[in-house]
Amino acid sequence: MMGKMLFVITDLCTGCNRCTLVCSAVKEGLFVPSKARIHVNNFPLAGFSAPSICFQCSKADCLNACPVEAIYKSDDGVVLIREGECTGCGECVDACPYGMIELSENDIAYKCDYCGGDPACVKVCYPHALVFGEPEREFRKQRGLQMRERSDIGRPGEKRNNLGTNLLEKRRNT
Amino acid sequence: MGILILWKEENMNLYAGKVLMIDLSSGKISVEPLRTEWVREYWGCWGLGLRYYCDMVQPDIEPLAPENPIVFMTGPFCGTMVPLTSRFSMISKSPYTGTIYEANTGGAFGPELKFAGYDGFIVKGKADRPVFLKIEDDRVSLESAEAVSGRGIFATEEFLKEAVGSPEAKTLAIGPAGENCIGYSCIGSEAYRQFGRAGAGALLGSKNLKGVVCRGTGGVRVADVTTFLEKVRQYEEENIYTDDNLWANTDGTPVLVDLTNDLGIHPTRNYRFGVNEHKDALNSDAIKKAKVSARACTSCPLACGKFTHINGAEVEGPEYETLCLSGSNCGMNDLEQVIRFNRLCDDLGLDTMTGGSVIALAMDLTESGRHDFNLKFGESGEYLKVVEEIAMLSTERGRELAMGSKKLAEKYHAEDMAAEVKGLEVPAYEPRGNYGMGIAYATSERGACHLRAFPVDSPDRFDIEIMAKEVADSQNFNAIKWSMCICDFWGSVSHEIMADLLSVGLGEPVTAEELTVAGERIWNITRLFNLGAGFTAADDILPKKMMEQPLGNGPAEGRVFLKDDFDRALKIYYSARGWDEQGVPKAEKLVELGLDQIRI
Repeated sequence: MMGKMLFVITDLCTGCNRCTLVCSAVKEGLFVPSKARIHVNNFPLAGFSAPSICFQCSKADCLNACPVEAIYKSDDGVVLIREGECTGCGECVDACPYGMIELSENDIAYKCDYCGGDPACVKVCYPHALVFGEPEREFRKQRGLQMRERSDIGRPGEKRNNLGTNLLEKRRNT
Repeated sequence: MGILILWKEENMNLYAGKVLMIDLSSGKISVEPLRTEWVREYWGCWGLGLRYYCDMVQPDIEPLAPENPIVFMTGPFCGTMVPLTSRFSMISKSPYTGTIYEANTGGAFGPELKFAGYDGFIVKGKADRPVFLKIEDDRVSLESAEAVSGRGIFATEEFLKEAVGSPEAKTLAIGPAGENCIGYSCIGSEAYRQFGRAGAGALLGSKNLKGVVCRGTGGVRVADVTTFLEKVRQYEEENIYTDDNLWANTDGTPVLVDLTNDLGIHPTRNYRFGVNEHKDALNSDAIKKAKVSARACTSCPLACGKFTHINGAEVEGPEYETLCLSGSNCGMNDLEQVIRFNRLCDDLGLDTMTGGSVIALAMDLTESGRHDFNLKFGESGEYLKVVEEIAMLSTERGRELAMGSKKLAEKYHAEDMAAEVKGLEVPAYEPRGNYGMGIAYATSERGACHLRAFPVDSPDRFDIEIMAKEVADSQNFNAIKWSMCICDFWGSVSHEIMADLLSVGLGEPVTAEELTVAGERIWNITRLFNLGAGFTAADDILPKKMMEQPLGNGPAEGRVFLKDDFDRALKIYYSARGWDEQGVPKAEKLVELGLDQIRI
């Protein structure tokens, strides 16, 4: 059963990266955006930014790819990792089409867990480009548009950048 | 040309603890520990960069000589969650004014540099061919930039990002204006942000350094992250999301178009008038109609940048200074043309303030019959065409305008028409309608500048005594504020707030008092440098125009800032600073600030 979900309203994102700063501070104990569980793809020349989030996919590729069932889905529909069971094989990293699961320096997979139901990123997003709420129609529509931007290959950063590039292209065409 | 650096150490709180040293002549790159003995007196950005710079040079150094270093320095909050603190400074001697020179830029490069593990980097020497500096955490190298030689900033930044294969990398670049060492060329960053005003681009150009690309995957530590985050949240609620600052979110700098027109201090048609009767074409409402999105520097919730688009022309901006000096001051009451102008300048690497000001002077010279530059107020064709001619030095007209207002006026015996102090063009707040701004321009260390003191809407703006003292206080305050690189638009920040955030971040007590002294110390070092570089009290002066010619219209119509009044203001200012009548810091002031032993 899916509870509240995280949504991105791309056009409202200003590229400030407050979400990645606070995420890394909460999860890693220091300001290290490269290790955040959310990322912002910035295209300054075009005046455009597109956050990459974990969509907590209903059929999660990372979960399906895990050979040791270290990835599971919570009752709220959040995709979580049993760290003790992760072998660091990296299959999930390759499988995620959005570049939103990665391996730590200790070779343990990490990803967004919605901060246990109260995401820190949403609270610092002043323009409300990030919303944590019920899956209302407009939010679902945005999510659908973003989830179409899948990448089968590439490093996580490249996959995220592809999503941003493609969303920018769509904005240009509208 | 690659040089590998293998040196990791535990980060300090708030600081990376390391500075990169790059000698372009030898290709040698090294890492030095941060001079922590200077941190507690100079803190970061402007102050700390200045301390490094003054330790390396004599004030008579030739700005474009290979041995002149350029110091890039971040501040303690850069890369953290503290809002409006992502700017970082560049310090050197200006090739345009011959003064000490600090410029700072927002965007995202500063934080990225911290994440790569450096508080700053210092470049000296000269490469024998165009190169760029590549920083990927602890891998730092110089690479060939010949493929983008002569190219604009936008294309160069694209090239630099591809060179590290990381879309997350951040960049600095110069365009043809910088490569041609034009006095008012900029270093661009992330397309629309600049180290501007007094020739940052030329400094890089003179060294054959076309750009810098940085990718950092490390982090910035604080003493206690939970307390720090809570403190930041508290100040955001109490001190940032307030009327003092929220204009930056709703309007950004274009809000100043209406305000300055209402005050009669909006330079119009080469600083002849204080009101632009067609300002509605360029004000915040006009910008909102053209706005596509809001843009922010890293960590800033306010997103003052307004990305605009009209008829295929787009830019982040134009900001107030551009709207006024490249718009109203050139009689260009057409937002689309100002957007086109802004974008061209940003790509070629020219300062829009000086660019607009110099072109307005050329328009005035043309229309008054003194010399025909084929440039007329309000005519967009040549106005847009001349930008490239300046940046590329491709025509006689372009080469003449590239000299800047001071030299252009000298050549055509038109000193009465130019608006500059120490060779730097007057910003978009007319000093005849605000004597405080006049004192601020005359005493700014880098020539006419609005970022050192800004008493723009003071009710006492014609009270010379109050203004002279307020300018000195503001300069001291801004000297420490720019040394934290806290953005101008956190207008309500105080010494106490800075000290509190430093204390929590560092895990050791910092007092507002020591920051107050640090600000004054930094300001006095800039003075000592300029005195050493040959400047005297006679250079603390306003343009003739502002002291002799009455302002043409509006609430301040008919006003001048008379030389006698100005001299009185300067006397009060020097006295408030503890300087003698020649503007030289007295020995007891230097002792008080701990500067009596410093060698400048």
